[in-house]
Amino acid sequence: MASEKALDCLRRRLCDSSFVYSAFKSTPAGNYSKLKFLISNTITEACNNSVLLLGPRGCGKGAVVDMILEELKDEFPEIISVVRLNGLLHSDDNFAVKEIARQLCMEHKLLFSKMASSDDNSQFMIDMLRECGLAHKMIIFVLEEFDLFTQGKQRLLYSLLDAMQTLTSQSVVIGISCRLDADQLLEKRVRSRFSHRKLLFTPLSTEDMQRLLEHLLYLPKNLSLPSKYVKEFNSNVNNILGDKKFKEILDVLSSVDNTISNICRFLYHAISWMHFESGLLTLDGFKNALSCMQRQPMLDKLQGASILEFYILVCMNRLGSREQNSFNFNSIMKEYKAIQDAYKTSDNYSWSVCLRAFEHLIERELISFLDNRMRSLSIEYRPVRLLLSSQELHQGLKSNSFCPAILLKLLNHESYR
Amino acid sequence: MAKDGVIPLSPGRKTRSSSQLSPSKPSPQNVYPFSSQTQSQELIHCLYTSEEPISLETLISSFPGRKPQILEILRLVGSLNSPMFPLLIYGGPSTGKTIAILQIFRYLNRPFVYAGCRTCYSPRILFDSILRQLLLHGRNPIKGNSGTKRYEKPSEFIDLLRIALVQAINALKERNLKSGSEEVDRGKMIYMIFDNFELLRSWDKNSNIVPLLLRIHEMLKIPEVGVIYISSSTPDAYYLCTGSIEPITIYFPDYTLEDLHGIFMRNQPNPKLYSSFLSVVLKPFFRVTRRVDELSVAFQPLFQQYCKPLVDRSVVPDEAMKRKLFDNLQPYLTVALNDLFNVPSWSSHQTKQEGDHQKKGIRKSNRKEASNELDFHMSMSAKYLLLSAFIASRNPATLDASLFDSSGGLINRKRNKNSQMSMDRKDSMAEQILLKGPGSFPLERLLAIFQCITSVAESLVEEEQHENGTVVESGSFGLTSDVLLQLSSLCNANFICKSGSCPLEGSTRYRCTIDEEMAVRVAKSINFPLSSYLYRR
Amino acid sequence: MALSPSTTCDFHSSPISTSNASDVSDNNLQHFFVLHKAPARKCERKSSSTYRRTKRKIDMLLSSPIKDTQEENDAIYEQLRLEAFENTWSKINSTVKEVLREINLTLFEEIRQWVFESFSTIRSASPVHMMKPYPIAAGATCKRIPAALIFTKNIEFVDDMLMFQDLKGYMQSNGCHVAFLSALDISTKCGIGSCLRSLYKQLVPEASDVVDVPLIASWYCKDENYDKPIAVIIEDMERCDSAVLADFIKMLSEWVMKIPIIFILGVTTFDALRKLLPSSVMHNLQLCKFTLESPIRRMDSLIEYVLVRPSFGFFIGHKVALFLRNHFLRHDGTITSFLKALKLACVKHFSGEPLSFLCPGMLHDDCEAFWSGKCESLSEVLRSYAFDLPSCQRGKTTGDNNLSQGLSKLKWLQNSWSSVLLCLLEVGKLSKIQLLDIFCEAIDPTLCSGWALGQQLLPPLTASHDSVNGGFISQAIQKVRELPSDSLCQLLGQWSLHTAEVIEMDKEVKAVHSMINLPSDGHTSKEKQTVNINGCLASSARKKGKPFLNDEAAMLLVSLLRKFLVPIESVPFHEIFCFKDVSSLKSALIGDPRSVIQDDLLKSGEYLQSTSCSRREHVLSSSIHDTAIMYSLAQEYGDLINLHDWYHSFKTKVLISNPKAKRKAQHSPASEKGKSKALENEVSIQARFCKAVTELQITGLIRMPSKRRPDFLQRIAFNL
Repeated sequence: MASEKALDCLRRRLCDSSFVYSAFKSTPAGNYSKLKFLISNTITEACNNSVLLLGPRGCGKGAVVDMILEELKDEFPEIISVVRLNGLLHSDDNFAVKEIARQLCMEHKLLFSKMASSDDNSQFMIDMLRECGLAHKMIIFVLEEFDLFTQGKQRLLYSLLDAMQTLTSQSVVIGISCRLDADQLLEKRVRSRFSHRKLLFTPLSTEDMQRLLEHLLYLPKNLSLPSKYVKEFNSNVNNILGDKKFKEILDVLSSVDNTISNICRFLYHAISWMHFESGLLTLDGFKNALSCMQRQPMLDKLQGASILEFYILVCMNRLGSREQNSFNFNSIMKEYKAIQDAYKTSDNYSWSVCLRAFEHLIERELISFLDNRMRSLSIEYRPVRLLLSSQELHQGLKSNSFCPAILLKLLNHESYR
Repeated sequence: MAKDGVIPLSPGRKTRSSSQLSPSKPSPQNVYPFSSQTQSQELIHCLYTSEEPISLETLISSFPGRKPQILEILRLVGSLNSPMFPLLIYGGPSTGKTIAILQIFRYLNRPFVYAGCRTCYSPRILFDSILRQLLLHGRNPIKGNSGTKRYEKPSEFIDLLRIALVQAINALKERNLKSGSEEVDRGKMIYMIFDNFELLRSWDKNSNIVPLLLRIHEMLKIPEVGVIYISSSTPDAYYLCTGSIEPITIYFPDYTLEDLHGIFMRNQPNPKLYSSFLSVVLKPFFRVTRRVDELSVAFQPLFQQYCKPLVDRSVVPDEAMKRKLFDNLQPYLTVALNDLFNVPSWSSHQTKQEGDHQKKGIRKSNRKEASNELDFHMSMSAKYLLLSAFIASRNPATLDASLFDSSGGLINRKRNKNSQMSMDRKDSMAEQILLKGPGSFPLERLLAIFQCITSVAESLVEEEQHENGTVVESGSFGLTSDVLLQLSSLCNANFICKSGSCPLEGSTRYRCTIDEEMAVRVAKSINFPLSSYLYRR
Repeated sequence: MALSPSTTCDFHSSPISTSNASDVSDNNLQHFFVLHKAPARKCERKSSSTYRRTKRKIDMLLSSPIKDTQEENDAIYEQLRLEAFENTWSKINSTVKEVLREINLTLFEEIRQWVFESFSTIRSASPVHMMKPYPIAAGATCKRIPAALIFTKNIEFVDDMLMFQDLKGYMQSNGCHVAFLSALDISTKCGIGSCLRSLYKQLVPEASDVVDVPLIASWYCKDENYDKPIAVIIEDMERCDSAVLADFIKMLSEWVMKIPIIFILGVTTFDALRKLLPSSVMHNLQLCKFTLESPIRRMDSLIEYVLVRPSFGFFIGHKVALFLRNHFLRHDGTITSFLKALKLACVKHFSGEPLSFLCPGMLHDDCEAFWSGKCESLSEVLRSYAFDLPSCQRGKTTGDNNLSQGLSKLKWLQNSWSSVLLCLLEVGKLSKIQLLDIFCEAIDPTLCSGWALGQQLLPPLTASHDSVNGGFISQAIQKVRELPSDSLCQLLGQWSLHTAEVIEMDKEVKAVHSMINLPSDGHTSKEKQTVNINGCLASSARKKGKPFLNDEAAMLLVSLLRKFLVPIESVPFHEIFCFKDVSSLKSALIGDPRSVIQDDLLKSGEYLQSTSCSRREHVLSSSIHDTAIMYSLAQEYGDLINLHDWYHSFKTKVLISNPKAKRKAQHSPASEKGKSKALENEVSIQARFCKAVTELQITGLIRMPSKRRPDFLQRIAFNL
């Protein structure tokens, strides 16, 4: 029971981004404090501002912004109103303006008419900016997937930033993007109006990671859990964190991807392996999590193949290795028949069965058509290519328990060519 | 109540209502259509599976070889009310992904929303069906559909989805409050399942549907919502240029031999007999394909064959009987291995023909139409046209001059037949045919060849008519306008396909798609020396 | 092409054009007639046509004093002929429909049984599950849609469309929901949405624009719809777009447990289907094959019921029959075109033959009265015409009232002819001889002379002899000689049925039949005993009577043939009932529009007899239609026409022979006004040029310039 509670609590923590990133609130040099200082400054000085948050996915850009906005709402009630746009949803300029108008209406309890034209909407936006500027209210535009706004004419960005330049408005535009060159994507007229503040979000350093892990894994005292269990649990966590093997695991993990979200996923996996009776985390859990994190999809696909499909793959590989530039099912079939005649294997199947195996391979995306042009042509004539490297194929064959030895020979040894 | 379900979504009120809640903190009371308890109850019932919940043992036992995956999913989905990261379940086709998930939820007995991307063939339909399930339109989908033009834009969909989800979650919460302690708490999580996720990639025209759905969890920011994707293609198919938060992946590997055995042994009336059957059949077929559906399709008729000698199916076979049965099955087994679909015929007078058909199949490894005559009617000029199309697409255009002299007759190519250069040019040609397939040709060339052939054919046709004692007016093959009609009807029958207009000149080009033996059969039916016209021989 | 006479039609072909339009409306350009110039012009060319004689007669009479009465008579007879045509054709038509339906009926029944059987396998549990958006949690095995493959034995699917329509009606009447999908619904540009839409529209009359499967499911859940199979007919599978079709099948296969969809697919060959669909989709179909009657069989039964059995008072001559046969075998083997040809022949006969209003007499029970009545009221002209008929001349029949007698004699002969032919058919059925061939041979006028000489029948035929004069009839007789006794006895039984109404025949047949019956019964009984002892006795017993009996039967058949198989064309007055004008039929059926259009364009001068054209033939003048000028100019180029040169030659052509324009062209430089005139003249010429070019393109004579060489037109010149 206690263990379930603990597990539940841990999962909540992992899924609640604000809690996760609250680990770095305290660091003075962190992006959190920078950004917060910037915005609160802008509010107090009642001026305009714009900033770009750049960094790879899962470094908590959005989360930091959310946290800051929440706090600012408490600090300056009735002053801040937030407009959120997402590049995925509102990349179309007219629609984005409409959305802005809608959200402004929502914030200020105005009635929004769906029928309004885009000009009306943009006009309304500018008026709102002015009004808010006069009323010393702050409008904060949060543009997620900022890079997607830069596709097309960038009319939205231009009108927004231009309004900020000219009007006596108070507003902050926060662009969030995972493309580090997001500001290079801006047109000149837009870039010139853009204040080049960029906050770069970087993956974790090791001590940050350490802090994060502690922050996430230690159970709090105040929770309604038996304190004995909590103490036990935390000591156990401490041991694990101190363990050398765990360090190795962590290194492997972070060498691939050490963004915060990745760590969180890893932990999520790991705690799902929590030992149920004792209710303690185990090192094996972390090991399993790691193994689940680093699957090789190509090999997975290859594992599913049947022997006949392996034959076809090997044939394609042989054809490719002979610098035969393009091949289709017919030429593969020729090779296959040649092999069958040469070695008299038991796997000599009819044309149609091989064609089905061929189609299976295409469905598995182990091979693909070269082009979609010749649709009128029937499938056996369309040129295909192998999506596997011969190493992968070799590995797949070796790891496959039941596949005949001749295949490996056919694949590797020159003598069998 | 259907009315209540619809009205808040009619455009006028939708804007007003949604204008009263901020995206981050929706205030659902205003838009909550289910004012009375009963409706919320119905909503809840819609969201649960209709079957009876099952126990963990039956769940695991009903999926042989899937125990680790199921347990892992259960671990990751977690206990009641605990939030979860999005999951991606992937594995080859017919590895039981969908069914496993559905049964797991039947076991968990938690509310979920299912959207199969195959059934919902366009984004709009997809959004439509999800919202319908959430807003109880499932009862009257016509109404749900009649309000068209509602969520063209994905953002509108996201807003509506958010509203709907909050409603549903509130309904669940208050249900729990009401039921209180005497009934077991059934949680307030709602899970969204996207099936056949790999198909989304082919919806090319709005390319951002995949990232949208992949990030739907972080976009909604509702902790009570869990998202599960089911895909038959591996996660690397969804890597985007700007990257994305990858869901946690669970891999369903293809079944191994033992798993398949277990699967086929499920609820068999006579397990002993069937296992002996499987011991014969499973291994050879396993080398060809590992898909349950294909295997089961193949096994059905074989098992009938296997049981034919037996008087009662309930007998427990001993070794001798097994051997006898196996010997009985052996020939059919080899046929079935090399043949995909044998089409049974309904009417009796065809069944026996089908029977000897199969015997033929035993001899022939590749069982196409064994009979040498055409099995359908085709007018003579159509046959000639088809043959000329076949010739035109088999021979390169440069060789026509060497094949047909001016009078249209066939030049005997004895002398250059054995010359070396023609030989290697020939096998290069064969290679080319193997690679490129049938070549395409303009209409003019087809008609020219058609004329040559028919002019040759006239003579033998004439004498054939004489022995019929029928005098036919000359030029019965003369090109008339209905040759073009023949062409169109050949195109309709897919014997000749109109390939797109070739880039050089604006004319449409044709291509003959029939295979060699078919052409040979046609040629035989009008005793036409096809082989002498084909360049390869 | 306003001027091409291939579109101008006279009153003869106008009924054809209308009927044809109604026929064609259901399908695409599969079948059409080309309407030709008025036969008034045609029958100058052709000799030995009854038509010409009548014309001459009537012309001659027009000059005679009794002209006015003549005219009103003509009007009356015209009316009579029209009526005669109408009721005859309506009878023939109804018979045809009946026959075709009969042929398919057994197949339909089989399909119905199969549909309900497979429906019982896939019917779903309860509507509650059905409303769920997710598939029923069951094994992959039950994801298969039952699909009937109907092998249409013909690459032309025109005949089958009717069949599928009937099938639809049949299934609906037997408690299925039926939807009809064509290849147009399943095409790339419409995508899968349109398939579902048209499917749903046919199930529910008022349908929304966006349709998905749950919608159909909810419709199916309604009580009045529930628990019936939904048959989806795709009549021409090969023409569908493979990708869309595959998606469609896969989508439905996920729902098959909830919505019992059952496919009925019309295909030509199985290989085509396999090419069309990937194997993964084929696994979702639970195939079961049905086979239609082959068109040959259909044709046979049609001929038997329309042309042989009861005479509708309309027959076709030997040449026509041969032509129809060849057209069927060689050019397009469709029943539809055959029927159209038949109708055309009927129309031409009734409109062309003055006495054709006598035909319906064939159907009257007492034709004597009918005909005598008609003949009394017959006008002098027509009567004399009747006796001038060549057949009548040959027959040397004279006197007044024996026109009606002759007619009734003809009817009697015809009946006996048909019954003998039917006997032959019975044999033909035993020995795989097509009715079509036997019919064509039996209708041959040279036949009876052959009988008279009586060779090729009496001696037992050797194979070689058979092949020399490969008469199907003699083959049939040979077959009779080889028949085993029991089937021989059956055969004779059928003969006695067929020959029931003709007395003399009946007697003979009865005689032989009885005399065969007794020993054959003895045979069967004896076999019954001997078989269980040992086989050899039975065979020996069989040997004894057999050859004798067979010879008897053969002799009977031969004598019957001798006496009664009188082809209609050797009977007096047959012209009244028999249509023999092949050439008109041919020109109407396989007219080649391209060549017609071409030579019409080249010598359009002949049609519009304007003085300016007729003055000098070879030089072509500007008063001809622009298109004609252009095309005759185009003759000078190869198959690539330089646009610019063409335009200039055209311009000069027009300007030269148009003096006013030339004058303008001369003093245009002088005055500003004149220049503008010249300019607009230029413009108008260009406009005419463009118009002409477009017309030529529409007629399919030239092809528009390609990207590669934009200033060259290509001439499409097959010598069609």
